[in-house]
Amino acid sequence: MATIARPVPGTTTKRPNIASADVQLPAVKDYEQVDNEIIATMNPTAGWFAGLGAAIVMMLIGASAWVYQIYWGLGQAGYEPPVMWGVYIITFVFWVGIGHAGTLISAILYLFRAGFRTTIYRVSEAMTVFAVMTAGLFPIIHIGRPWKFFWLIPYPNWRLIWPNFKSPLVWDVFAISTYLTISTTFLYVGLIPDLAVLRDRETNPVRKRIFSILSLGWRNSDREWRHFARAYLFLAAFSTPLVLSVHSVVSFDFAMGLTPGWHASIFPPYFVAGAIFSGFAMVWTIVIPMRKWFGLKHYITLNHLDATAKVVLFVSLLVGSAYLIEFFIAWYSGVPAEIEYFYNRVFGQWWWAQWILLLCNMIFPLSLFSQKLRRNTTWLFILSIIINLGMWYERFDIVVPSLSHEFEPWQWDTYVPSWVDMCFLVGSFGWFFMWFLLFVKQLPVFALAEIKEIVPPQMRGGHGHDPHATESGGGHRGPVIAGGTH
Amino acid sequence: MQGVLAVFRELDSAAHAIEELRKKKVGDLTVYSPTPRHELEEAVGSPSSPVRRFTLVGASLGVTFGYWIAVWTSEYWPLVTGGKAIASWIPYTIIGFEVMVLVGCLSTVFGMFYVSRIPRLTMTVGYDPRFSHGSFGVFVQTTPDKFQVAEEVLRRHGAQEVRGER
Repeated sequence: MATIARPVPGTTTKRPNIASADVQLPAVKDYEQVDNEIIATMNPTAGWFAGLGAAIVMMLIGASAWVYQIYWGLGQAGYEPPVMWGVYIITFVFWVGIGHAGTLISAILYLFRAGFRTTIYRVSEAMTVFAVMTAGLFPIIHIGRPWKFFWLIPYPNWRLIWPNFKSPLVWDVFAISTYLTISTTFLYVGLIPDLAVLRDRETNPVRKRIFSILSLGWRNSDREWRHFARAYLFLAAFSTPLVLSVHSVVSFDFAMGLTPGWHASIFPPYFVAGAIFSGFAMVWTIVIPMRKWFGLKHYITLNHLDATAKVVLFVSLLVGSAYLIEFFIAWYSGVPAEIEYFYNRVFGQWWWAQWILLLCNMIFPLSLFSQKLRRNTTWLFILSIIINLGMWYERFDIVVPSLSHEFEPWQWDTYVPSWVDMCFLVGSFGWFFMWFLLFVKQLPVFALAEIKEIVPPQMRGGHGHDPHATESGGGHRGPVIAGGTH
Repeated sequence: MQGVLAVFRELDSAAHAIEELRKKKVGDLTVYSPTPRHELEEAVGSPSSPVRRFTLVGASLGVTFGYWIAVWTSEYWPLVTGGKAIASWIPYTIIGFEVMVLVGCLSTVFGMFYVSRIPRLTMTVGYDPRFSHGSFGVFVQTTPDKFQVAEEVLRRHGAQEVRGER
């Protein structure tokens, strides 16, 4: 459900009036245009087949590594005492984090009535579902004997013994499975009106039948919209604390341990901020090429990207503050193991990984203080890759330096990921993008009904769409947006 | 079910037609729109949705079950640690919260389906595929003797098409 478009007094300015222009789609004339242009993106192209093929190959690399690891054992994963968590847990936390932006955009920004979410929320929700599906694989891979994973499920699985509900691993199971269920439900509920559009426009009888079943007989009646709006509000209200709880619970996997660098009360907010940060970066990685390839720059406008850039900048400052507070508290605590650990992380054994993190997550995002760079899609795309890299290294810097540098100096050692680890990392990206690419050609990746909410309807009284509006912004409904859709 | 179905291109025309039909009490109205519009919601004057009751009941059951399963299993096979409670409510709050969200959300969706009367196996009478695309629709469920009154109101307010349905 999008926010209702507020009429914006028409002004002509040379600089974009971002504060009032964030929900405007001046180049979208009517409801029919929304359906026609967005449904047209569902036709497969050669580029899509190539992308899907590449994703499947990457996924198969990961699958082959899994078969190899099951045959030869978990020792192939590069684990060596004392570092018994590695790429699998790092990548698990990375993908859970990616999954957070979807719910943030679809639920939290909905509650805050942030209009710029409307055109990007469906992409983000789908991204969330597939990212959590990817993340969920890694604990199963990490346990080494994946056929025993059901021991985590809360039922008396072995001699009437239930799981230990005081264990962070069991909290993880509850948090991640709830999050996956609710994210999928949220995505599906939002899709129902759009499935009805597809049903009504489809000519292929088989596809029409499938869309008819999936749309549940939705008819766009006032009764349906009224209950839909209320249910959507409650789903958003539940999803908001859920999204905050899930990464807090993931952070407890670390914070409940007495290991130096982990046992910190700042971990839950620090993890949540990091998750939102990486999730928004992945949204850019996906949305910026998509708006270009699909020719939908007039839907995801520069104003929308500018607004997301401000969120990323703010969250970057939060994450950067958390890094600095960690250093400060280690010094202020006076605990030798903590001080030694952080010194080793920044200036010792793992300095290179720490500085990748600090540069990618604290320094480069400062460029977003420049409006020019916030509206430069090439830079936003590059920055999204930089932030994704930085956030993977953030999790590396949490997991590896702590385990390799605990209390006793005789325990100190190093960690080198094996080729099997790397194959799983590649495979996870293949798995994620395979599902995402399949999604974009089967279902509308932009929310039809919600985008229609911000397109003024036809009015007999003459307050509807202005036929003089152009793609670059204009007409009399809103301000002229210089280069608004490039 | 029988009545008169009208297709409108303009939102305000549909809203005015609805207001007049309500004043004349011609029959039960069903209004269609490609996207939710407050103008139509106000014209129809429907009461607020009861979905929230399903949410409350589901969330209450969920949080109760979440705490209960954690406490009961702890007592059922105690893992005794000296000086520590066998059932500890602080970590169990995580279980209670997650199950509350899970059951609360699912019951909300169930409630929405139930009160919206979906899934619907047939489209029944009084629907047009244009209502999901770009047009607004008004279906007046009434007896044949009032068809003419309804048609007259709908046409006067600028309906693009008016037809009887049964």
